[in-house]
Amino acid sequence: MVRDITLGQYFPGNSLIHRLDPRMKILLTLAFIVFIFVATNFQGLALMLAMMLLVLLLSGVPLSQYLKSLKAVIFIVAFTFVLNLFYGGGDTVWSQHFPGFTMRITNGGISNAVFVAVRIFSLILFSSVLTFTTSPTQLTDALERLMKPLKVLHVKVHEIAMMMTIALRFVPTLLEETDKIMNAQKARGADLESGGFMQRIKSLIPILIPLFVSSFRRAYDLAMAMECRCYHGGEGRTKMKQLHMSGLDAAAAVCSALFCAAVLYCALRFPAALR
Amino acid sequence: MMGSLKDGTGYMKDYMNAENVTFSYEAQEEEETVEVLHGVSLGIQKGEFVALLGHNGSGKSTMAKQFNAMLLPSGGKVYVDGLDTLDEDLKIEIRRRVGLVLQNPDNQLVASIVEEDVAFGPENLGVAPPEIRKRVDEALKAVEMYDYRLHAPYKLSGGQKQRIAIAGIIAMQPDCIVLDEPTAMLDPRGRDEVLETIHRLNREKGITVVLITHYMDEAVGADRVIVMDDGRILTQGTPREVFSQVELLKAHQLDVPQATELIYRLKAAGIPLPDGVLTIEECVAALEPQMNRTER
Repeated sequence: MVRDITLGQYFPGNSLIHRLDPRMKILLTLAFIVFIFVATNFQGLALMLAMMLLVLLLSGVPLSQYLKSLKAVIFIVAFTFVLNLFYGGGDTVWSQHFPGFTMRITNGGISNAVFVAVRIFSLILFSSVLTFTTSPTQLTDALERLMKPLKVLHVKVHEIAMMMTIALRFVPTLLEETDKIMNAQKARGADLESGGFMQRIKSLIPILIPLFVSSFRRAYDLAMAMECRCYHGGEGRTKMKQLHMSGLDAAAAVCSALFCAAVLYCALRFPAALR
Repeated sequence: MMGSLKDGTGYMKDYMNAENVTFSYEAQEEEETVEVLHGVSLGIQKGEFVALLGHNGSGKSTMAKQFNAMLLPSGGKVYVDGLDTLDEDLKIEIRRRVGLVLQNPDNQLVASIVEEDVAFGPENLGVAPPEIRKRVDEALKAVEMYDYRLHAPYKLSGGQKQRIAIAGIIAMQPDCIVLDEPTAMLDPRGRDEVLETIHRLNREKGITVVLITHYMDEAVGADRVIVMDDGRILTQGTPREVFSQVELLKAHQLDVPQATELIYRLKAAGIPLPDGVLTIEECVAALEPQMNRTER
């Protein structure tokens, strides 16, 4: 069923990474993503990769799942890799003369290409660790708390988090509804599978319109139900589940900080491989 | 046992009181309004189980929403525990006392985990976290859904979802629950689950229940039945009193419970049978002597 895929992002478990406070996980993920860009030489890059491998193994999620998440970007990575290969500076490694122009691969181009590819892969992998080991509710909850300081800037933090919670809650419901409407339209003779691209897009209209209408009806009902349960915005609201930072979170923060310091040291100590 | 009665205006004995309530929906265009309640007066006592009956468009759902200030009377007054629903500042207080459960179980659950959904109400009320935990566990046990506390609501059956919705209201520790056709979208099993749950809550926790329904058989177990028709109260009384007025109900296109209907028709056919039969058991007891007589 379609329904099983959407919430399949999260792999329930009890690994070290699962047990970290979601706020810490979000912060560390951000820090790692920043430091991927701080690492400008192969020494730093190797350190980052070692760290990543360690995190992936600690998460207890099968490595094949991570590989699956890389599939989505493989085309972009291949494309930028090839492009970078031919557009770098430095010593020429390989060249080929064509009438009118010369194709050349330089060592600068190679290192650029490798860096960009590794960086994109790392971005995906680090964020995968976050979504694989943190439940959607934990994520929205942590985001609400982390964004709290933004309230000073009149950002509607609570409202954003509430919208995310409701959206997540209604994903399976709406998918089920889509299924029903598709079957209902098929039973009335709608042809959803054949025809060209435009034809197929057009055939989606009789599915989208009823889905839209019913979503509005649901939204109206839900708003009423929320009001019945005394919802009146984020003011004076408490939470059943409090987030707690533990020793584990402190340890993770210290390890990560040491690690990032090492990467920073490499960046300053060794010449940049990136031009 | 439940929250103590506030010593408000004093003279009211009823927990909830509607005084000559009229209500009009404003049509979107022009100033045309449609009046759906034409002066309804009724009182509901603490701990009572009241069934509010009527067919579609009788104004029973509109009446239900008057009790927790979701809709406000266009004329007349509604008091809940002595609080005037027209007072904007009392809205939260009123909704804390009177919870409303809606028809569609899918559209009233907010969170993607059962226990977090039940916690939604108390969280809105600003209850302290350990106390919320306690209330959520109690509420889930009260509707017999404790074992499902970590499940995702969309994987549950309709009856289970509706019981979660009821738990979400119970967790706010209300004095009264108003249920607006809670069984309309459920299969017979889900319907039994929900009815059994609300009867138990009424019996064991003393929670006042107002059950809005158009299934006459659901009203049989109530302390009092109020029948609405065309925005007015047609008749009210104990189920026995109300359902003995078969002609009146029929004249307004309303049904009576199936057992009552059967006895009514047999009597019309000239068989001497007692009045006021409501349940299948009573029906069997009434028919038995007749059957034995014909056999002999």
